[in-house]
Amino acid sequence: MSLASTDTTKSGPSMLARLVARQEVALLLCLILVIAFFSFTAENFFSVRNITNVLGQASLALTAGIGCAIVFISGEVDISIGSLLATIALPLIIIMNDTNSLVLGISGALLFGLIIGVVNGYLTAYAGINSLIVTLGTMFIMRGGVYLYTGQRAIPDDAALDSFIALSDGRLFNVVPYSAIIAIVLLAVFAYVMQHRPFGRQIYAVGGNPEVARLAGYDVRRVKFICFIISALLATVAGIILGARVGSAQHTAGLNFEFQVVAATVLGGVSLAGGIGSLTGMALGVLILQFLSNGLRGLGLPTEWQLVITGMIIIAAVAFDEAKRRRAIGV
Amino acid sequence: MSELTQSSAPRRFIGGQLLGSSQLVLGVILAVLCIAISIAAPQFYSEANIIAILRQCALVLIVASGMTMLIITAEVDLSVGASLAFVGCIGMAVLNSTHSLTLGLLAALAFSGAVGLFNGLVVTMLKVNSLIATIGTMMMLQGGVYLFTREAVQNHHRLAGFTDLGAGYIGAIPLPVVVAAVIFALAAATLRFTTLGRYLYAVGANERAVRLSGVRSQRLKLFAFVVTGLCVGIAGMILSSLMNAGQPTAGRGFELTVIAAVILGGTSLLGGRGSLLGTLLGVLVLKVIDNGIIILGWNQDLQMVVPGIVIILATYLDIVRNRANVG
Repeated sequence: MSLASTDTTKSGPSMLARLVARQEVALLLCLILVIAFFSFTAENFFSVRNITNVLGQASLALTAGIGCAIVFISGEVDISIGSLLATIALPLIIIMNDTNSLVLGISGALLFGLIIGVVNGYLTAYAGINSLIVTLGTMFIMRGGVYLYTGQRAIPDDAALDSFIALSDGRLFNVVPYSAIIAIVLLAVFAYVMQHRPFGRQIYAVGGNPEVARLAGYDVRRVKFICFIISALLATVAGIILGARVGSAQHTAGLNFEFQVVAATVLGGVSLAGGIGSLTGMALGVLILQFLSNGLRGLGLPTEWQLVITGMIIIAAVAFDEAKRRRAIGV
Repeated sequence: MSELTQSSAPRRFIGGQLLGSSQLVLGVILAVLCIAISIAAPQFYSEANIIAILRQCALVLIVASGMTMLIITAEVDLSVGASLAFVGCIGMAVLNSTHSLTLGLLAALAFSGAVGLFNGLVVTMLKVNSLIATIGTMMMLQGGVYLFTREAVQNHHRLAGFTDLGAGYIGAIPLPVVVAAVIFALAAATLRFTTLGRYLYAVGANERAVRLSGVRSQRLKLFAFVVTGLCVGIAGMILSSLMNAGQPTAGRGFELTVIAAVILGGTSLLGGRGSLLGTLLGVLVLKVIDNGIIILGWNQDLQMVVPGIVIILATYLDIVRNRANVG
């Protein structure tokens, strides 16, 4: 697996071929293709309003996707994020209803997310349980907990604070949604950390080859532990944006969200095997899927077709990528 | 590799084999659960309740039998829940139009087998990670079933044989339980006593070694995918018989229950290790918990919380026990 990451930098005859061989460039071309296709075919697709709308819708998956990608790169998986989205809406909405304070509500939600991240991270990194099992377990526990607490009824946001509603409705200069700006800022910060800070390198090293990372003196367990905390906190931020969008704590919020994020992340070239991929790739993967579903809706196709086509594209994209990778290493 | 030798080496003592596996932990958990629930609610041991538990186990066990084989080969199938719903709708639609139980069952098996074959081909020929490939199939099936029918396919044929599929009895035992037992026995015998079964373990433990020794490893994986698909077909028809309709919304989260049962039974997601006996215990533990929650009159939403805790706890206990054995 780790062989694949080195081959693109070493060989390659022409500049252009090398550029296209880079995952992110190929993804960017795909994204441009998708946007170009729907601009010609779907009405009202290529407008500032629609494109910024899509960015706003993508902000959830972008934010949570950062955490998902980081956990993947560290060699683990986190499928509890969908349930987390529904869970943290409870402290968020309840605290805001009680105190009328956005800061307290967000703090409560983040604290809750932090606890979940610590639990996931501890059980995986220190207790040594397979992360798919741990997060499958916490996924069940959290979803069941939300059902229990709410009695399967939505808890409305009675406080209706302007600042909270602005998280979903507000736009900077009346153009770019605040939620998209939050996602882009977080993406920039974490992309910088992953590429240019020692901690980012540690995550790649731990996911690429834990034994080598350990011998190089990295604390493998601590790195993985922190990755799970990052993932849970980012999913919490996504949950806060979702809470603002729906204006309540819904027990069904974020159902299947983890699958969408995992699919977009893998589409973006982040390997489940660990150590490979970039946040830029993940972001492009999210945007491709989001523009695709928006464009298909613009063509008047029902949601069911969107699901079918998205499924096919995920399989095709990963298959294509795999074929390219195998040709590169000459299998 | 050590996992491979452990699982396929000739076994000397049945007792030693039990002690040497994670099934001991599960057996103890199951026993404790049964004792605790029956102390709190004596009706737990009534014949009616035990039959109810077995009936609920049947659906999960049928699919889990195939899934155990698949996970042993180091692959996984997340599309079984979506496929379960689709199969029920298709089977019911074919029954309505042909009034033939045989044709309905064949259509269901053909469809679910084709889904398994598709998953298998994508994974083995296109080399797509099975977690992602089957998420893709899951989306396609979820969308596809709504394109096929927007509402439940009702039972218009009134075939008695179809109702028996879910509600019938053979002697005192419900038919679904008999079907599950047969499928379980076939799968267990295949895994334990046949060369095919040993190859399935070998592919999961070290695919490269298997390929280099001249066995077509891809075909083995394909086989496991198709078997899982066919199991879904049978379970889907039983489910639609029990509900007396093909529901497009059925099977939500079913894939996670099945995988949870298999993992709980000690089958490793990394492949090469696991057993159907463990899966049986895993299914029983999950369903006894479900039943206990109902019998004790607790909130039914606990049916999600408790299994989550049990999966993590059982895996952790297994790790602790392994460490103790090694050190």
